[in-house]
Amino acid sequence: MSGRTRNSLRTATPPWLAALFGAPDKKFLSQADCEALVAQAEQYAQGGGETRCTVTSWWSGELRWARNRASLASDRRNDELGVGRRIQGAEGGVRTNQIDAASLQGAVQAAERNAHYGETNPDDHREPPPRFDYLTPAIWSDPTFAQPAGERARAAQAIIAPAEQAGMLSFGFLAVQAAGHAVIDPAVGRPLYAPYTAAQCSLTVRDPEGTGSGWAGASSCDWTRIDPAALARRALEKCLASRHPVTIEPGRYTVILEPQAVHALVRPVVGDFYGRLDAERSTDGPFHLRPFYSKLGLQVADSRVTIAQDPLDPDLGVIPFTDDGQPVRPVTWIDRGMLTHLAYWRNYALEWLHDNDPIVNRWGYRMAGGSATVEDMIRSTQRGLLVTRFSNLDMLDPQSLLMTGVTRDGLWLIEHGTISKAVKNLRFTESPLFVLNSIEMLGPPERVFSPDSPAIVPPLKAHDFSFTSTIDAI
Amino acid sequence: MTQTRRTFVITGTVAAVAAAAPPWLRRTGVLEPGSPREVPRITEPDVRALALRAVDAARSAGAAYADVRLTHTYDRKISPREGVRDVEEMTVGVRALVKGYWGFAASPAWTADEMVRLGHEAVDLAKVNASGQPRVVDLAPVSAHDAGHWETPLRIDPFSVPVDEILDFHQAFTVYARENFPGVRALSECGFTRQEKAFASTAGAFVTQALTKIGAGLGIFVPNAPAGEINNTGSDLLPLAARGWEYVRDNEGALRAEIPRLIAQLEADWRLPWRPVDVGRYDLVLDAAGMAELVDATLGTATELDRALGYEANADGTSYLDDPVAMLGTLRVASPLVTLTGTRSTPGGLATVQWDDEGVRPDDFTLVKDGVLTDYQTTREAAGWLQEAYAKRGLTPRSHGCANAQSALYASLLFPPNLRLEPGQPDVSLEDLLAGLDRGVYVRGLGLGLDFQQRSGWSRGGLFYEVKGGKRVARWQHAGLLFRTTELWKALTALGGPGSFRWAPAQRAKGEPAQQAAYSVGAVPARFKPQTIIDSWRKA
Repeated sequence: MSGRTRNSLRTATPPWLAALFGAPDKKFLSQADCEALVAQAEQYAQGGGETRCTVTSWWSGELRWARNRASLASDRRNDELGVGRRIQGAEGGVRTNQIDAASLQGAVQAAERNAHYGETNPDDHREPPPRFDYLTPAIWSDPTFAQPAGERARAAQAIIAPAEQAGMLSFGFLAVQAAGHAVIDPAVGRPLYAPYTAAQCSLTVRDPEGTGSGWAGASSCDWTRIDPAALARRALEKCLASRHPVTIEPGRYTVILEPQAVHALVRPVVGDFYGRLDAERSTDGPFHLRPFYSKLGLQVADSRVTIAQDPLDPDLGVIPFTDDGQPVRPVTWIDRGMLTHLAYWRNYALEWLHDNDPIVNRWGYRMAGGSATVEDMIRSTQRGLLVTRFSNLDMLDPQSLLMTGVTRDGLWLIEHGTISKAVKNLRFTESPLFVLNSIEMLGPPERVFSPDSPAIVPPLKAHDFSFTSTIDAI
Repeated sequence: MTQTRRTFVITGTVAAVAAAAPPWLRRTGVLEPGSPREVPRITEPDVRALALRAVDAARSAGAAYADVRLTHTYDRKISPREGVRDVEEMTVGVRALVKGYWGFAASPAWTADEMVRLGHEAVDLAKVNASGQPRVVDLAPVSAHDAGHWETPLRIDPFSVPVDEILDFHQAFTVYARENFPGVRALSECGFTRQEKAFASTAGAFVTQALTKIGAGLGIFVPNAPAGEINNTGSDLLPLAARGWEYVRDNEGALRAEIPRLIAQLEADWRLPWRPVDVGRYDLVLDAAGMAELVDATLGTATELDRALGYEANADGTSYLDDPVAMLGTLRVASPLVTLTGTRSTPGGLATVQWDDEGVRPDDFTLVKDGVLTDYQTTREAAGWLQEAYAKRGLTPRSHGCANAQSALYASLLFPPNLRLEPGQPDVSLEDLLAGLDRGVYVRGLGLGLDFQQRSGWSRGGLFYEVKGGKRVARWQHAGLLFRTTELWKALTALGGPGSFRWAPAQRAKGEPAQQAAYSVGAVPARFKPQTIIDSWRKA
């Protein structure tokens, strides 16, 4: 190679960087790596001000399969670096994935140029760095980090085998990820770094004629907490039991929603636990149109509904800080049906509550359940529908959270306390807030497939769920 | 307000199409020549050496076939309100085939050692799976030893234009609106992306490309609009397209003229009453943008061959065109007026390239001819799946060149080419179509939701007008369209002519892990026999 490749550039880079690239097994940047990287960037800064950086450095090992055969095994890694320069109240930022010395210098200079074009905010004053105590959630798993590709291949073969033996077709994806996330910002007071792992497995089993489809999935920070064999069984059973569905009329039905179906409805609710600042101060902005505007302290759901975030729950761990260093803490959003908290940022806490601490919503949640099993719910139902999951959701009215979407991968009619037949999928038009006020029974909560943020959700039985049209998709 | 295609141009596509930063170091003068950062341009021999090294490593490790892609992506967004935002990303990915199994390894490091590591890793991953059940991959032929470089045709590289000049250009619209249209605020902004990419394979090809995309948006806001009225709208005059800065700059006058036009359009709407939707069956007219949405969400999705064979079953879903061999050339999917083609050669198209991500030179092909399904979107592997069907019709399997990827960090996947709904004859305009509506519904800004096999759909956005005697007489609240896909397409009775043809940007998210690719969809307005109009907020 001539002298112009990045390889030769790196011969002039600091020893820590050389060490990084000299170690092929190093899957992502360590805390020391990130701190050295940012220290290096700071040296290039000109014109005073502050340099703030975020780093997400990740490795991912993946396996996808289709029609009972692996279709792609992949191993990918990347370093995502955000560099922000704040000079006299103006901020400029760039993102890059190149971390050699010359690229860092270029990134810092580009951020400074962009700060020149950013609007200066004369009201901006920086509080002294808060000394937050951060939680240490359990979001790391050694076996997940160390999982060899062969284990993924064996897992997939074991998942596919029962479907293939039954003459069905299996499609799915499993992946493990290990990453380090750093926030290095003078305004935070000290460098923050969190290493974490993630794992997911999901599959769809279809019959070759396309008359039935079943799905199962799980996600966790820890691969060893996922049971691929159980998922394989579940998806196959659902596929076989869902074949040759009959058409039923849309209308209001008592529904038994499996946890994955409940999650699809409740997740948008959790997403709306934000904006206390706007909810209290805004009278004509978009926020007064949000469902929880001015409802703090009011009953918004059935008294059996409690929804809470707890990063220390081993099944609900998340990175314990935001990209501007705000701490993620336990909070109960809805307590026995009453809206008790909405999220707010530190600026709001300082100005309005004379408090230092924000309430940050990281979307991870546990919804409390009950003791009924899905079988109990079925036995107690004269006529109703059992729903595996929802798909293709669209929000129609953000104020009431009215949504439309379709059932998928298993819908059954219940008559006189037993499942009587598989039925064709239906489109619904319904608000989760209505469902949370129409609950008849709740089951024990369990971890659902939610790779972006962890969720523990119960199955539930609710009345008068609104299905608005039939669809032919299977 | 629902998201329109206009906001999509600025906030959606540009932001998501990945990366990018300006060749901020070498082409905008931030760093002087001789700066320490000397990333090789994609056409330089160093890149070829890196690429061949990766391919050689995979071959020597036992790959029956391997390819490598290097991508260098720059993205810049410039807005008078938010300033300048730059993103740059360099990635490399090696894909290897061993006994019918694919392995893929990717990273951000363009180094000689990394090429070897990735080549070996890709082969190792393929071998791990190859120990199981046998799998057959028939790659459709590609012209070996293809070589060359291709760039999006353009006059002015947007990354060479000083940021100040672009900011001034956009700021002028705000000033113009303030001075000429009191009470109206206007904001204009733009974003552009360049992806340089290199491709090499064990088949002997080495090709490089530099693909540039740019779009500009203009929005207006009328704070003192009547209470309860829509007070903002945007222009779709300059949607994201594969063009240079001249595409924006040379349209300054036309973009300025959008301000009074958009104000007039809002005021015309305000004069029409809002009424509760009168649900029922109505003749329907969709504008070109709505038809592009329909094409994209239905036929454009369903004719992805991998999807039709179930490959997306565990992700976004499959296709209603699910028996490709039997359906090809026989299945009526639309009115005889409908012909749909795929093209990666149309000037300005977001999917327009010289080579796809498997080194194939794409051809223009017909997906639907006179209402009958005639082909599917294919890659080299997918074309192999159609051998039987092609043979029956006396055709040689050939990839249509639909392999694409967000960047080299993702394995290439089948993504739509630019899609083109052929205009009708003679030259019928949207207004002509509306004039023929005695009693019906016209929808502007239609957004669609579809089920996971595109068999049925519903509107999730759009302004529904009641039309009587060819005139818009009212707007309907919460109105929605509910349809079965093939019934809707077969109910099409008239198409706009060539003068009403418009390109719109589109983007598909697909795969596991999910990735995105952009393409353009061109369409004309159309009229349909009666369709079901519902109150979309009404529960059962």
